[in-house]
Amino acid sequence: MQVFLVRKPGPFTSVQDAGRTGWRRFGIPPSGALDQFAFRAANLLAGNAPDAAVLEITLPGLVLEALAPQVAAVTGADLDARINGAAAPQWTAFSLRRGDVLTFRQRRQGCRAYLAVAGGLDTAVWLGSRSTFAAGKMGSPLRAGDVLESFPPGPDARPGRRVSLSCLPASPAIHRIRVTLGPQDGWFTRRGLQTFLGSVYRLSPQSGRQGFRTEGPVIEAARQADLISDPTPLGAVQVPGDGKPIVLHRDGQSTGGYPKIARVISADLDWFARMMPGDALRFEAVSREEALRLAEAAAENWRAIVRAVEESTPRP
Amino acid sequence: MDPVLTPTGEDALLVEFAPEICLEVNRQVRRLAFALEQAAVEGVAEVVPAYRSLMVYFDPARLELPRLEEIVRSHAARAESIVLPPSRLFRIPTVYGGPYGPDLEWVAEAAGMPPAEVARIFAAGRYPVYCLGFLCSLAYLGDVPAPLRLPRRATPRTRVPAGSVGVAGGQAVILPVDQPSGFHYLGRTFVAVYDPRYSPPTPIRPGDWIECPAVEETEARRAEGVYLGELPGASLPGA
Repeated sequence: MQVFLVRKPGPFTSVQDAGRTGWRRFGIPPSGALDQFAFRAANLLAGNAPDAAVLEITLPGLVLEALAPQVAAVTGADLDARINGAAAPQWTAFSLRRGDVLTFRQRRQGCRAYLAVAGGLDTAVWLGSRSTFAAGKMGSPLRAGDVLESFPPGPDARPGRRVSLSCLPASPAIHRIRVTLGPQDGWFTRRGLQTFLGSVYRLSPQSGRQGFRTEGPVIEAARQADLISDPTPLGAVQVPGDGKPIVLHRDGQSTGGYPKIARVISADLDWFARMMPGDALRFEAVSREEALRLAEAAAENWRAIVRAVEESTPRP
Repeated sequence: MDPVLTPTGEDALLVEFAPEICLEVNRQVRRLAFALEQAAVEGVAEVVPAYRSLMVYFDPARLELPRLEEIVRSHAARAESIVLPPSRLFRIPTVYGGPYGPDLEWVAEAAGMPPAEVARIFAAGRYPVYCLGFLCSLAYLGDVPAPLRLPRRATPRTRVPAGSVGVAGGQAVILPVDQPSGFHYLGRTFVAVYDPRYSPPTPIRPGDWIECPAVEETEARRAEGVYLGELPGASLPGA
């Protein structure tokens, strides 16, 4: 079913889902929504499977025209979504009629919003996923005139399903990014490690889905030699010759030659999707056991949100 | 040599062999990666081999780290007896020089030989695939002959077209997609070494061999856009 005509694509809007797994050994990154929490919430609200394809909307500018009546939900950044000029609900499923115009007018908070339509987007599949990875010729960002299609809505596609705002992560003045050290933390001096863990870094404008660069104090290396290229996991914190950390994200390379001082824990990866250039962050080392405990806490928090949404769903 | 195991975050284990680029070390990596894949260990999500190390991604809810370390060590201990699948030779028709090899003259000057000789030496070589990686199944080829080993460009080019064949250090690459690069480009192929409409998106595997024989542009263009895995005569067994 045709659901949207793209009138204006905005600065960077792409189709994303949970990502493609099992292709790193072929040099293919996982891709998928950068803010997995907001992505799953959008699908939950639209009554979709958790891995259905949605739009990832980076910064305001997107204008869509509804081509059919439908239920949709917007989560993530507050980009001042409006339906025919009137405020659209955030983190709450709503109805659109044919001809309604959905706009994202200005950034109020965050960086990336997610739009799920009931049924999920029906776009081309590459290597098991609908996620756009333009550098690898798997789709491209939205263009004006594109028409988006969706699958039939599920039984839970009802306007009014909502996530309580008290459940949402609130952006602090300085983001706390927890990491496990290694595998190449030994390539840096003691002072370099102190700099890494004791300084405030700011997100560089040279950041994107591939990786998030930072500006801040130079991390002192103990050796100069480049590493023989080795595998680079999601969340790897690379420190190239200029001494400034780069956090690899979902479109990141599968191998690389810079030493990796640390890896961002899974529970804190989504923060990079929400930060704007210039936003402050601080890296904090935790043990692997603590990282696993925090991942389990995040999973439990998510299960509580799912229960609350199911309970809040208006019954017909 | 026993590999060094280093946990990397919640769901990855880095396994490192000797820190050098050489075929014997790379073979140890490939043997262990192959053994782990064949074993289909419950909870192992993916094994990613590189030059002299490999990363084992796993689900920590289904497989505890100490158990995984034990499994990796036991496979590494008998890796010598593992027989790898036969490698193949891919012959990738390449046009050298002119607009397709923008660095051929520069490399010739640096190597102190005529451009045609650089093309002849490179085209006569057979290069092992050490690993696939970076982005889009880029094959890392090695063992480029000594006269063609030059440092990378001081300033990388911002965009080099897909199919470009280049060298730097002892390495060679055939670019799978348009991308920035600091390598020196000698020629270009029009065959698609990478195409995400195919699964997997490249027929090349670590352990295979690559040759880039010189052809005329008209002949090279006949294979334009053809996926390497479907190019007649491009793949030969038992290299």
